[in-house]
This record gives sequence, structure tokens and C-alpha cells, in this order.
Amino acid sequence: MKTILYFCVVLLLVAGTIIGCSSRNPDGVTTVTIAGWQSNTNENQLLEQVFKKFEAENPKIKVKHEVINDQYMDVIKTRLIGDAAPDVFYLDAFEAPLLMKYDVLSPLSPDIKANFSLADFEAPLLNAFKYKDQIYGLPKDFSTLALFYNKKAFQEVGLNQPPKTWEELRKYSKKLTIDKNHDGKIEQYGFGITPDLSRQYFMIKAYGGKLVDKNGNCAFDTPEALKGLQLVIEQYRIDKTSAQPSDVGASSGSEMFGQGKAAMVIEGSWAIPFLKDTFPNIDFATAEVPTVNGKKGTMAYTVAYVMNKQTKHKDAAWKLISYLTGKQGMKTWAKEGLALPSRKSVLSELGYNKNRLYAPFVAGAAYGTIWQAGKNLPIIVTQFNNQFISALIGEQPLQSAMKKAEATANREIEAAS
Amino acid sequence: MLQEVWKKKGVREAVASYLFMAPTIIVMGIFLIIPIVYAIFLSFNRVRVLGDLSYKWSGLNNFIRIAGDERVWIALQNTAEYVAIVVPIQTVLALILALVLNSQIKGKNWFRIIFFLPTVTSSAVLTLIFMWIYNRNGLLNNFLDFLHLPTYNWLGDPAVALKSIMLMNIWSTAPFFMVIYLAALQDIPISLYEAATIDGASGWEKFFYITLPLLKPVTFFIVAMGVIGTFQLFDQSYIFSGGSGGPNNSTLTVVLLIYQYAFKSLDMGYAAALALMLAGVIMLATLVQRTFFKEN
Repeated sequence: MKTILYFCVVLLLVAGTIIGCSSRNPDGVTTVTIAGWQSNTNENQLLEQVFKKFEAENPKIKVKHEVINDQYMDVIKTRLIGDAAPDVFYLDAFEAPLLMKYDVLSPLSPDIKANFSLADFEAPLLNAFKYKDQIYGLPKDFSTLALFYNKKAFQEVGLNQPPKTWEELRKYSKKLTIDKNHDGKIEQYGFGITPDLSRQYFMIKAYGGKLVDKNGNCAFDTPEALKGLQLVIEQYRIDKTSAQPSDVGASSGSEMFGQGKAAMVIEGSWAIPFLKDTFPNIDFATAEVPTVNGKKGTMAYTVAYVMNKQTKHKDAAWKLISYLTGKQGMKTWAKEGLALPSRKSVLSELGYNKNRLYAPFVAGAAYGTIWQAGKNLPIIVTQFNNQFISALIGEQPLQSAMKKAEATANREIEAAS
Repeated sequence: MLQEVWKKKGVREAVASYLFMAPTIIVMGIFLIIPIVYAIFLSFNRVRVLGDLSYKWSGLNNFIRIAGDERVWIALQNTAEYVAIVVPIQTVLALILALVLNSQIKGKNWFRIIFFLPTVTSSAVLTLIFMWIYNRNGLLNNFLDFLHLPTYNWLGDPAVALKSIMLMNIWSTAPFFMVIYLAALQDIPISLYEAATIDGASGWEKFFYITLPLLKPVTFFIVAMGVIGTFQLFDQSYIFSGGSGGPNNSTLTVVLLIYQYAFKSLDMGYAAALALMLAGVIMLATLVQRTFFKEN
């Protein structure tokens, strides 16, 4: 019996040491954890530089950087539930309403001083992180969509201007869709499409349609909303001058464009560094998204730094956020060109509005639709994407597909609320 | 009083044996029993996990919701189709492979290693490799094209997306079951075959009257494990569809649906109810199989 007793004591001791280890803290230095995703290694290096500068200016704070690359929001949500979330993390505007509503973020408004110059941020970007008159996140950057076109492919068919209207885009696509070796298979499509709600939302709005009503319910099954989407379907099914990345064996629109399998795509500014790195031989230019129904339209995506409500180092976390979104910090980081800085002053100081490749993206900020539509948007996206693809490949007409998507989404929203 | 109880040999032995089992009981309790009980509890509640944790008793509401949820039926249908196609094929294939390897062919040890390789490879890696093979301009389409057979959009076309996962799953799990069959085959006494040979039985007769009946318990095990494994299909369809179960719900499986509700919509109550339903379906399937295999 004695041996068993000893065994139990030893077991307890071991358990005690394991638990004890995690709560030790070196004197006076607080460690702030920041989590985000990473688009490429350059971005990571730039960010580490900014952190080093911050640590030099604040010797009492250490920054621990975590990179979560896959299923970012699932990981963050699960860690928020388990009280193990980082102190500061990236949050896409798309997921912000849910987290703000469930009160897991710390409001930043009380800490924001006048000299932080909040008015310098693009207003729509900041509004995406406002809830009940409180600011919960400071936008770190944004991106819009613009038309990428392959200059060489354009020259080959005698075009020298990018399309200005959607009618032109379809006309050009017909010229640009080429079966180069006449084997009955098309080598180059005119236009590459991404059949995802995050890219098509502005098409719903083009003829006055709406994605959600004022109660946050899904409302895109209207003639106005379908009219814009129908243009995308018609081009794919009737003209046969557009293709999805999976049709040509690519994993994204920018890859498809880079491989020369599509002469035009609508992509975000993140595609510029990607194309330059991965496909240095392609000669491309950008233009604003062609007008639909005579109106300009595009999507705008933004990501903010937010603070976990459970954080034990509020002051240090705020110092980090204000440094990163301050003029100096933002300038260092925004040089990479994946996304555009959210402060107007930094945007013009870095000359993005004068750069030929980036100017269309900057222009889009004025009329872009922010990718956000209440807390039910994730549910709506799943239903829309599933049914829209089904309509695109011709399993059912668009109208019945969207009707189904809306009904299913609203049923789920009702069940979840 | 306590002293007297302690003196009894039976009690002492019982205490000692439970103490020996304690590590297992504790581990099983924490990681198996408590989660199961908790999941059953969750399935009768409306649970909010983000922010302040809260439970609200909702009776059978979650289960009523399952009955009206169109995606659950699609997922069940997909899963059933998957089971119905994959299990028979992989069982027969495993048996054929085992029989081939059990015969005296040259270099059979090498064949065993080669056949077993897919099973020891991680399924995530396998799926990624297969996504390359299935690519529109990938290996498989090039091969089919070379033979002048029709090519498919293996990942993007809802009509074939699930079939591509089936193909991959059969290829990767059949060898595992092959090894089990192989072990069972080597257990069959040679004397039985010798006696049958003397009686004038042909090769086929030996197979149908000796090999197959003696393999029956193993076949039951393999079919049961195959059904359970295929019902729980998740990783392959998750990676293939990027977590959406698309295109057009064609690769949606029950476990993927549970994942979506639990971690995307954070609706733990409903997800737990779905998990309970799946457990029920699997139990039912296993019971049905037992009656099939248990005539004598």
C-alpha cells in the first residue's frame, strides 16, 4: 500500500510543477501577444521590423507574434471561447459585427486621444468597426477590387484600352477568348471570374438590389439584385468567354491571370505583389472595374487590429495598437503594397494615388461596397456560394437558385437567433 | 469497523485493482465519458459559447430542427451513397490483394510494403497530392486524354466531386484491410486445404467453401470498421472543398456539417444534436450488419 501512496504523491507533484510553470513572469516586462495571418514572407519581415522598433521605444513591452494561416476565424473564435485568445488580433470587417455584438472585444474609444487624429482614417473603413457609438477596431489597411488586364493579349487582338463599361467587357472578352492551337479547347479565356459572394456583392447592388434587409435577413431574391448577377451567368453560359479558376486548373483568379489563361480578371491589390513575384514575365496593367448600369462599383475589404476583452495587459495592448495604426507604424508596414494604408495621409505620402498600378484601387475607395452586412453574413455567404455555382454550371436557372439560397439562409438565421 | 472491512481479502483486492486501473479510468472519464455526457446535455440546450457562456433548455427543438434541415438530408444522402459504394469495393479489393499476396509470388514482401504505403501516409498529404492529380490539367485528365477517354472537372463538377473522394479513399484504406485479411488467411490451417484437395475440390471450391467461411468474422470486422470510418468522413471532403462542402453541397458529409455548425456558426447545441444523430445512425448500421453475419 505504501508504494501506491508514494506513487500518488509523486503524481501530484508532477502535476503541480506542470501547472506552476505557466504562471511565472519576469520582472516588469509584459508580453503582448498579437495574432494575424500572413500573405507572404516579405510581409512578415516588415511586420517584425515594426515590432522591433516598437520594442525599442517601449522597453517594458515585449511583442509575441503568432501567425495563423488556415481557417483564421475558426481558430480565433475557438480560442476566444477557451479564454486563450491573443491580446491583439486581426479582424476582417466581414466577421466584426458578430464579435462586437457578443461583447468579446474591448472598446478602444476611451483610449483614443485627440492627437491620434482619427479623422485621418477613411470614414467608411472606421465605421465598419463601430458598434453602439464605440470603436472596437482600428483599420490597419484596406483593399478594393480593380480590373487587371494582360497588355500583350490586348495588343494581339488590336485592343489598346481597358473596357470602361460591362458591355465593353463582354465584347472584349469575345475577342480575347482564343483557341490558340485549334484543338477545340480554349487556351485563353477573355475574363476570369470568382463566383463568390465576397466578389459579387457589388453586382447585386448595381441595379439597386440589396443583400440584406434592415433586420439582417437575406434579401437578394429580387429582380434588381438578379439583374446584375445574370450578367455574370450569361457571359459564362451563353458567351462562353469567361472561366472559373477551377475550369482551367488554377487555384485563384490571380494565378489564372498569371498563367495567361484569362486575359482579364477582377482582383484586389494583393494580386500585384503576387503577380510580380510569381509571374515576373507577365505585362499587365490595372483599371477601375467597368461600370455596370452606368454606375461605378467595386468591393472594399478592410482588416483592423482589435483588442481581446479578456486581455490582462490592456495598456500595453493599446500602446501596440496605437503604434501600429499610428502614422509612423503604418508607413513602415504599408510599403509592401499588399493592401493600401487606411490613413489618408499615409496613402498620399507613399504615393499610392499617383502610382499607375495602384491608382484604380485608391479611386475605388470612394465608391466601393464594404464587405460587411451584419452578423448573419457568414451564413448567407455559404448558401449563396453553393447555389450561385449551381446556377453558373447550369444545374438550375439563377432565379430558382437564388430563391433557394435566400430561403435556406433565412431559415438558418431564424434558427440561430 | 473500517479495519474489519479492510481485513477482508476481497475488498483489499478490489481496492488495489481499481487503483491499478485508476489512470485508465481517469483518462477515459475525462476524455471520453464526461464529453459524451456533456454532448448529450448540450444537444437539449440552446448554447451560447462566445462571450458569456449560457445554456437555455430547449427540449427537443434541436432534433426537430434536424428533421426540417435540408442540408442534413443532403449530407446523409451523400454519406449513405459514399458508404454504399466505398465499403463493398474496398472490402473486395482488400480480399483480392490479400489473396494475391498470400500466394507464392516473387517479391511479395516488396508488394506488401508498396501496397501498405498509402495507409501510413497522412490523409491530409494524400488529399493534397490527389488534388494535384485531379486538377483540370492534372495527371489523371492527361492520362484519360491520352487514351482518348472523356476528361472531367474532378473537383469542380458537383456530379463527380464526391466520386473523386471515393476513389481516393478506396485506394488509401483498402491496403489497411488487406493486411488484416492477410493475417487471417495465414491463420487458416493448411490441413483443411489438403483434405479438400484429396476430396477432389477445385481451387474455386476451396475458396468458396473453406476460405470465405473461415474469414467471416474478419469480414464482419472489416465491413463494420469500414462503415464506421466512411460515416465519419471529414478530412478529405474538408480539404477538397475548402470546408464548404461544395460545389453545390455535393461533398457535404454529416461530420463536415457538424464542424460547420460547431465552429463556423458556433451553434454547439445543434452540432451536438447532429453528432448524437450520427452516433445513432452508425449504431443502427452496425446492428443491422450483426444480424446479417450472425446466422449460426
